[in-house]
Amino acid sequence: MALPAPQAATVTLIGGQYSVDTARPLANAGGGLPAFAVTDRRAGRSDLMAVQVERRSPPRAQALQALAEPVEGILSPLAYGPAPDAAGNGAYYIVAPAPPGPALDARPRAWSESELLEHVLRPAARALERLASRGVTHRAIRPNNVFQAAPGQPVVLGMAWAAPPALHQPAISEPPYVAMCVPAGRGNGTISDDVYALGVLLLTLALGRSALAGLDDEAVVRRKLDQGCFAALVGNGRLPPVIADLARGMLADDPEHRPLPALLTEPSAARARRVASRPSRRASRPLQFAGRQAWNARSFAHALALAPDAGLQALRSGVVDAWLRRDLGDVGLALRVEEMMRPRPGDIPRDSTSGDAFQAMTVVAAIDPLAPLCWRSVALWPSGIGPALAAGGNSPGLDQLTEIVTAEAIGSWASLHADRCDAPTLRSEARQHRVWFATRGPSGGVERLLYALNPLLPCASPLLGRSWVARLPDLLPALERAATTVDQATNRPIDRHIAAFVAARSERRMEAEIAALGRSGEDAADAELRLLATLQMRLHPAPLPALAKWTTTRFDELLVGWRSRARRERVTVRLKELAEAGQLPAIVLLLQDATERSADRQEANAAAIELARLDGELAALVNNAPERAALARRWGQELAAGIGLLGVVAALLAAALG
Amino acid sequence: MSQGVRERGSSLIWVQGLVCGALVAVATPLALMLAVLLAPAAAAALFDHQPGRPSVRAVLLCGISACVGPLRRLWLGEHTIAASLGILGGPGVIALAWSAAAGGWILAELAPLGLSLVLEAASRAQAVRLRARRERLLEEWPGLKGE
Repeated sequence: MALPAPQAATVTLIGGQYSVDTARPLANAGGGLPAFAVTDRRAGRSDLMAVQVERRSPPRAQALQALAEPVEGILSPLAYGPAPDAAGNGAYYIVAPAPPGPALDARPRAWSESELLEHVLRPAARALERLASRGVTHRAIRPNNVFQAAPGQPVVLGMAWAAPPALHQPAISEPPYVAMCVPAGRGNGTISDDVYALGVLLLTLALGRSALAGLDDEAVVRRKLDQGCFAALVGNGRLPPVIADLARGMLADDPEHRPLPALLTEPSAARARRVASRPSRRASRPLQFAGRQAWNARSFAHALALAPDAGLQALRSGVVDAWLRRDLGDVGLALRVEEMMRPRPGDIPRDSTSGDAFQAMTVVAAIDPLAPLCWRSVALWPSGIGPALAAGGNSPGLDQLTEIVTAEAIGSWASLHADRCDAPTLRSEARQHRVWFATRGPSGGVERLLYALNPLLPCASPLLGRSWVARLPDLLPALERAATTVDQATNRPIDRHIAAFVAARSERRMEAEIAALGRSGEDAADAELRLLATLQMRLHPAPLPALAKWTTTRFDELLVGWRSRARRERVTVRLKELAEAGQLPAIVLLLQDATERSADRQEANAAAIELARLDGELAALVNNAPERAALARRWGQELAAGIGLLGVVAALLAAALG
Repeated sequence: MSQGVRERGSSLIWVQGLVCGALVAVATPLALMLAVLLAPAAAAALFDHQPGRPSVRAVLLCGISACVGPLRRLWLGEHTIAASLGILGGPGVIALAWSAAAGGWILAELAPLGLSLVLEAASRAQAVRLRARRERLLEEWPGLKGE
């Protein structure tokens, strides 16, 4: 693909060598995401692009790590990191080679069989095989994200790492059990899902047009479930025999029936591989509820997943049982469903909402073992819960997602699909998710889940504005910038998002500081200071004067343990000096000074004793007034008698002396 | 009052009556003089019911100090009732004795009052000193205010 002429270079380098030129956008290169030209400052390459990540759609951290070494036939990531966007706001980019040519949907035409086999299937299958060997899926194979340098050249799979797996996939390119999920919750999937998408691509190119065009996503899923994927996608279209055979296998409803990429590199062998799959049994008449029609068990499971309340009503009324037995003729399935409708006590959550959702989920799983986790009209695959939460924001689906976490629905779902997933691991993860969600204080809740499950999700704290803080070391510089713009009197430097972000991204040694954030009043201020100081000490030794001043704005709360006024004044002066210097660890050391604090405590105790003594003496002065009056009377009377006696003695002396 | 104390009081009065009777019988002029000059003490005894009779003591002692001179003159002169009456009729003898008794009574009344004032002033001064010290302490240790 020809790149626009280079302009002024940007300063921020990704990975220490790639500069993003936001003034040179690359149209249709990012597979649905904005892409920009990149210059390699070290090697001088300019055939690169940077795909901009959406704030609520975190990049695929595991895939990025697994693809540290590029994979041939795929636009592999070379580097990734934050850099400013065109407006100067924080943004995040994945740097990869620019597409070698236009996307396959740029010039729609019907491809010949040999072209499809040699230039599409084989190179794509080899690329998928390499990906599979690294334990990574692509999940973004679609006509606008597969590129070809020139006719006769092998295709290259496009960028698939800058967004959650399959987020931008149209329903047609995904198996129905993936397409029915919330876009961000489609999960990593398996390489079989990539094979399916490759099959759809082959079919689309062979037909020269997109199949099922004009249908909305739900209609596409319903058509696939009703008719089977291959039949639904091909319809009346005519395919070359080899492509038809290959596509039939690649589009098998059950992922275990699809050929592996290694087999697809030899199309003749793949064509010869036939897996006998029993076609879905069709009922003599449809089951209707909530405005939906179900002709077979799978489409009933889909309808139940989308409208669980109406579906449960139909199940409880016996309508479904009758339909399964009489119209579908599947007594075994009817018995399984009946069993699922009579759960043992303790199997389902106590509250009625979660209880119904749980029951609907188990019935869907019993009817259709291929179905994803379906919870109150929201469907997702377990590995998609993190991106789904990130994309959820304030949407209604967030309630369902948090219920899935609190009810450990993923663990229960895994138990029902023990033969198709790693159930113990999923149960353990579900328990961990619930613990994170239930953690009290600012380091828990849905925010903790967001950051724990999405390692590259930027912190969404409103304090950070448009800064992109996805790594812990970037937090303090962003807070330092924020300190100059926010109202320090009404905002604290650590809110729920930042606390959860730090808790999720930090090591275990900081657990104590994070847990202390949940306290109130002066303890919270102290915990906040200690946490930020620890972060500065470990991750960002440079001075942070604005943040230090912000943190010590309410120094009264920090000095609450200091009882001597004179000592407090001395510490306050020193604290302000250290805040000016931007040294949070030094402030903590000052406030922790054991000798001074001990002296302060001892002197405070002595002062308290002295105060009690003074109060006692004052009380005694007030209370002893009657005793004083009695004493004065007694002494006065004795004084009068004494004076009288002196008079007698004086008179006697005078008489004796003449 | 217990039975023993009451009996001791009764016997003491009996002894006092015996002494007074003997004095009247043996030294009538002397008894006459004492009776006149110490009449205020007897009057005070009627009204003073405080324990220890402090007013009576003061009035009696002051009265006795004024009796010493006339008694000496009677003792050294003729020991008759006429002489006793003559001395008592002298200028200012009775007035002096009764004034002394009155002084004793005033003293018994005012001395407790004066001492009470002195003690009260001293305690107030002490309270002022204590409060000042307390204020200084609280100023240095503001946290102690709530304790």
